[in-house]
Amino acid sequence: MFTNKSVKRTILPGPPVDPLEEALRGNIIMTRLEKIVAWGRKHSLWPFNFGLSCCFVEMATALTSRYDIARFGAEVFRGSPREADLMVIAGTPFIKTAPLILRLYEQMMEPRWVISMGSCANSGGMYDIYSVIQGVDKILPVDVYVPGCPPSPGAFLEGLNLLMESIGTERRPLSHMIGPQEVFKTPPPSMRDRKRRQRQQATVLRSPDKV
Amino acid sequence: MSQQTDIISVLQNRFGRDRVTVQPVCDTVPTVWVTKNRIREVLGFLKTGIEKPFVMLFDMTVIDERLRENRTGQPDSDFTVVYYLISLDRNADVRLKVALDERQAALPSIVDIWPSADWYEREAWDMFGIDFDGHPHMRRILLPQTWTGHPLRKEHPARATEMAYFQLPPEKQAQEEEALRFDPEEWGMKREDGNTDTMFLNLGPQHPGTHGLLRLVLQLDGEEIVDAVPEIGFHHRGAEKMAERQTWHTYIPYTDRVDYLGGVMNNLPYLLAVEKLAGIQVPDRVKVIRIMMAELYRIASHLVFYGTFSQDVGMMSPVFYMFTDRERVFDITTAITGGRMHPMWFRIGGVAQDLPEGWDGLVRDFLTYMDGRLREYESLVLKNRILRKRTRGIGTYDVNEALDWGVTGPNLRACGLEWDLRKKRPYSGYEQFEFDIPIGSRGDVYDRAVMRAEEIRQSLRIIGQCVDNMPAGSHKADHPLAMPPRKERTLHDIETLITHFLAVSWGPVIPPGEAMCFIEATKGWNGYYLVSDGGIHSYRTRIRTPSFAHLQTLPGLIRGLMVPDVLAILGSIDYVLADVDR
Repeated sequence: MFTNKSVKRTILPGPPVDPLEEALRGNIIMTRLEKIVAWGRKHSLWPFNFGLSCCFVEMATALTSRYDIARFGAEVFRGSPREADLMVIAGTPFIKTAPLILRLYEQMMEPRWVISMGSCANSGGMYDIYSVIQGVDKILPVDVYVPGCPPSPGAFLEGLNLLMESIGTERRPLSHMIGPQEVFKTPPPSMRDRKRRQRQQATVLRSPDKV
Repeated sequence: MSQQTDIISVLQNRFGRDRVTVQPVCDTVPTVWVTKNRIREVLGFLKTGIEKPFVMLFDMTVIDERLRENRTGQPDSDFTVVYYLISLDRNADVRLKVALDERQAALPSIVDIWPSADWYEREAWDMFGIDFDGHPHMRRILLPQTWTGHPLRKEHPARATEMAYFQLPPEKQAQEEEALRFDPEEWGMKREDGNTDTMFLNLGPQHPGTHGLLRLVLQLDGEEIVDAVPEIGFHHRGAEKMAERQTWHTYIPYTDRVDYLGGVMNNLPYLLAVEKLAGIQVPDRVKVIRIMMAELYRIASHLVFYGTFSQDVGMMSPVFYMFTDRERVFDITTAITGGRMHPMWFRIGGVAQDLPEGWDGLVRDFLTYMDGRLREYESLVLKNRILRKRTRGIGTYDVNEALDWGVTGPNLRACGLEWDLRKKRPYSGYEQFEFDIPIGSRGDVYDRAVMRAEEIRQSLRIIGQCVDNMPAGSHKADHPLAMPPRKERTLHDIETLITHFLAVSWGPVIPPGEAMCFIEATKGWNGYYLVSDGGIHSYRTRIRTPSFAHLQTLPGLIRGLMVPDVLAILGSIDYVLADVDR
């Protein structure tokens, strides 16, 4: 935001700068390799173009201009699971589709992540009915659960951000030869706890009688 | 009324008074019981043997009657097969019922009379275990081939949590995948024919062009499509069974999710049928609010079509514009209903709440904005030469074929038949509105797209009239069965308090009867056939969806074409998989 207040700045004469040192400072970062790899993964998720039902429409909406998933570097939707590393279970998983979902998941290369989008994929939701699996986590591991029926595109993007946060802190082996071979993940945070303080501060809700 | 008694007497004169018995129903559609061995003859007669024939098999379904109490005057039956026919020349319907014994649950197939009966009969087998003699491919259609039991029978468990805990160990996965293997011989297809070897290509179930999970097995000679077998059922959410355990009121959210692009449009046929059973007249304000919201969702749905269709034929940018405009529709619906895709906002006898202050400004802004955008889209998409070349003259059917297959809505109008339920059988007050019905001429992919584009314009006109002439009054009918129940007098007299308590905790009790209502929904005619046994749940809810009938036409549309045409045609049919499988 621009304000009318003029900002006074005084530039103090510093010690003389070594041009070589300055060039190094601008172009070199010191970090650990696994950290920079995780950072790279986090900002270049390639979601699999895969949808089951209503939630898929909202997920596709997240791709379009108003929500613009490209802001988070995850706009490269792939038609083949072999090229993707993020699977969004957007919709209802059925007993009839379970073998397909699992097969597609298995075709994605490691490292791979799963977002369960919407109540059906989270737990079966409204559909406690003979043909529906009560949550996609009965057949494959889920990293982030996004609640809603369907979740708004904004909620999906929040879920994506949570996943990115988690990927940024993941530690995976850099090769088959070096270091421990396990994957270390931070335990997923509870959003209820995280948002409680902010939610408790809301004392006045918007009236539905006005637009 | 005269036409209704007319068709009954025609049938009775021809087949005998004892073979064709009449049943009174709430929706005043002439309903007759026909004996099992006469049904083919009667159906054939109604389709070809009379003047102004009943050309469309609109719906075909089954009722499991074994636990039904209120059926005085009806013949004994364990399973009743119901055929619903429509005559466009008469603008009249007829419902035929056949009583079946549980031990001999079979009927002769009518696939040779109506090709569209194919999937309906397979569905009846899958859901109820009714066999149809002479059906060419009698196998499950919605559930996996490995399923045991028929879920819409009353003895089948409804809840997943009543059934065994679902697990998918590798051996079961392999077994299920094996069951999905396509065997051409089973479908009467040949792997080689004289000098040509044909290839079988699996398109889907997961494919970016199928808008969800839909499997299409294509038989190819080179790149040319010889034949195709669609496989559906990857989206069967048991919406019909669900109605048998939800109350009349709490079922409304499930209707939203049937055609999930149609929002509150889905509530309307269901509620019209419930209101018919309950005898509720809604106030004018309710009618106009309902029309306005339904038309807004028609626009939202058509915008998704417009965008995804152009994407299906290779245009990258339009979808971004159209989804942005859809967001503008959602801005309005969020302000009014609080919801985006599934607002579940209509209620029995009214709508959930009155329109909020300032709603008209929002809608007016949208109308002016959208008008200009449509012109832009026309030049961007419909006038595009490449798109025209790709979509003109492919995937065509004429009016007779369309009616034979039960094609309705914009897809029917694309072949040049001006038939819109909003004009021909106005419901919910559509007779008060001025709008045109766009029609096509060729019935091809391009015409089907033009229909949608034009319908957006007409919907804008209707919404404009709603804003200008919104009647004053209540947003809820003054009726004891209207939901949520009346609160005002509850603290004054005990009767109202008790009724209120029961209606809230238990749900409204709808008097016994049968009613079918269908409307001009976003994709075609969407109807609900409700059977009430005088309880808080529906005894049987049948959802007749347009997408089911439309998708069935696919093999006929793509034979002889190329694989890329399939995607253009799929896009132009404008189906939603939840609307196909329910």
